[in-house]
Amino acid sequence: MNGDEHHLPILRRKGVRPFPPRVSSFTRPFWEQLGEGRLTSTICNRCSRLTFPPKPVCRGCWSDDIAWRDIAPDGVLYSFTRVHVVPRAFLNDALYEIGIVDLSAGIRLMCRMVGDFDLFVPDMPVSMVVLMYDDGPLFGAQPKGRLTTP
Amino acid sequence: MRNAAILGYGAVPVGIYQRVKDGCDPPLEHELAVKVALDAARMAGIDKTDVNGVVVAHPGDHTKQGYFHTFLTAYLGLTSNSTVVQVLGNGMTAGLAFDEAIRLVRTGESDCVLVIAAHFESGTATADHLDYSIRLTGDVDFQSIFGAVPISWYAMAARRYMHEHNVSRAQIAEIAVKNRRQACLNPLAQFRTPITLEEVLSQRMIVEPLGLLEVPGRADGAAALVVTSEDFARSSGKPHVLVRSRGYFHEGEHQIADRHVDMTAYKSIQVASAAALDQAALTLDDISVFQIYAPCTIVEVAATESLGLFPRGKGWAAAADGRSAFDGTRPVNTSGGHLSRGHPPEATPLYDVVEACLQVLGRAGKRQVAGAEIGMTVSELGNYNAAIVHLLEGRP
Repeated sequence: MNGDEHHLPILRRKGVRPFPPRVSSFTRPFWEQLGEGRLTSTICNRCSRLTFPPKPVCRGCWSDDIAWRDIAPDGVLYSFTRVHVVPRAFLNDALYEIGIVDLSAGIRLMCRMVGDFDLFVPDMPVSMVVLMYDDGPLFGAQPKGRLTTP
Repeated sequence: MRNAAILGYGAVPVGIYQRVKDGCDPPLEHELAVKVALDAARMAGIDKTDVNGVVVAHPGDHTKQGYFHTFLTAYLGLTSNSTVVQVLGNGMTAGLAFDEAIRLVRTGESDCVLVIAAHFESGTATADHLDYSIRLTGDVDFQSIFGAVPISWYAMAARRYMHEHNVSRAQIAEIAVKNRRQACLNPLAQFRTPITLEEVLSQRMIVEPLGLLEVPGRADGAAALVVTSEDFARSSGKPHVLVRSRGYFHEGEHQIADRHVDMTAYKSIQVASAAALDQAALTLDDISVFQIYAPCTIVEVAATESLGLFPRGKGWAAAADGRSAFDGTRPVNTSGGHLSRGHPPEATPLYDVVEACLQVLGRAGKRQVAGAEIGMTVSELGNYNAAIVHLLEGRP
């Protein structure tokens, strides 16, 4: 395991996740690590390609010789939106914000955004957080340096 | 390989058909599908014994009748020794249905194919429809979990584009005003009341920075084509539209890549359009009119720039100064496009083919592009993860 620089703040969220992910024997390590404050994914042992979400095969070279890696939680906000017209499953969550984050590890992902929407600008530094609901974790991002309350 | 041609087309105005209204029984999806099929067949001057292939655009989840292709084939009393098939390809669905009909003709398996698309969704509440559609436009276990509705990806493209090119929401919104002006002249259009830029900008937000008139409305629709061999079309003696070429490219991503790439440089449309132009030995300057899949204002901007019609960062200006209007030098979405002609997703690309036919046959009335000869149609899937392009030449 790496040091604390790879530890994500864990923010408590009331209730259950609105549209929870399925968990397979392959993806279970991702969600369990996330619950403990670590963002992980898979890297190919043959061609060294890191990917997200984690995959049991490498999309670069089709090798199935892959390994789990911690991903540093810092990056920049590529873009974002606030969703006003929402699916029924998310009615209790509305309004909510989502964003596309480019992590320094070379990974792009989409996630929930946390923080003051009016202050979001593309290319601002962000860091990943864990959103811990009653039934399990999701991942999110917030402006870097923001004080978080567990 | 033989050439394919469009000998007939039919469409009902895009609108709200499925939703139950007081004192009005809504039509069933196949009733409109059969109507547009017969309209297309009558224009083509064919009868049912001429048809030996049926390609149906897979209707969305909210059309009640399943196995729609065999159901419609039976409803129309058709037999086939070629193929009866339903085609699915996200927003590209009806574009691929058209493409499959062309392939059946080009390979000689069919002389005359009926292409039908009917999209009914307005009977389903928007929130319930979104429960379904978030499963389409994202990884259900790693992206849909955050509530990424389909147009939220375009909203993020808009935000990024505004940032990179120092362009305002109002400048991009010029697309909505331009396209509404064109829809006002189109009897098939869903929205035909003129709008101003101020009205576009004052609507409620849907996915920031896009408001109600910068995204497509809910819509139903039905359209059909008769696709035949060139010889069949010639011997009919009727005006027809020759399919000059096609291009296709899938970039190998689903919505977004897992690495840092430019989200508003649509590689798929660049490659697919270059292939289509190359195959027909034409250049962009030879194309009179462009029908481009663009559910939101930003998508027309990014797609026309990627296609090479306008410089990067300047696609919006062509709408503002009229260059991309039907009477401009680069006419785009002359029907009013997704925003105003309307967007019944699984049928939309056929509506765009119908508009291209109207233009290159000189039948587009008050929105006619003067001297239009060759039209380009483009449909896409996902966040322009793939594009299919057809070049269509009028033989009036």
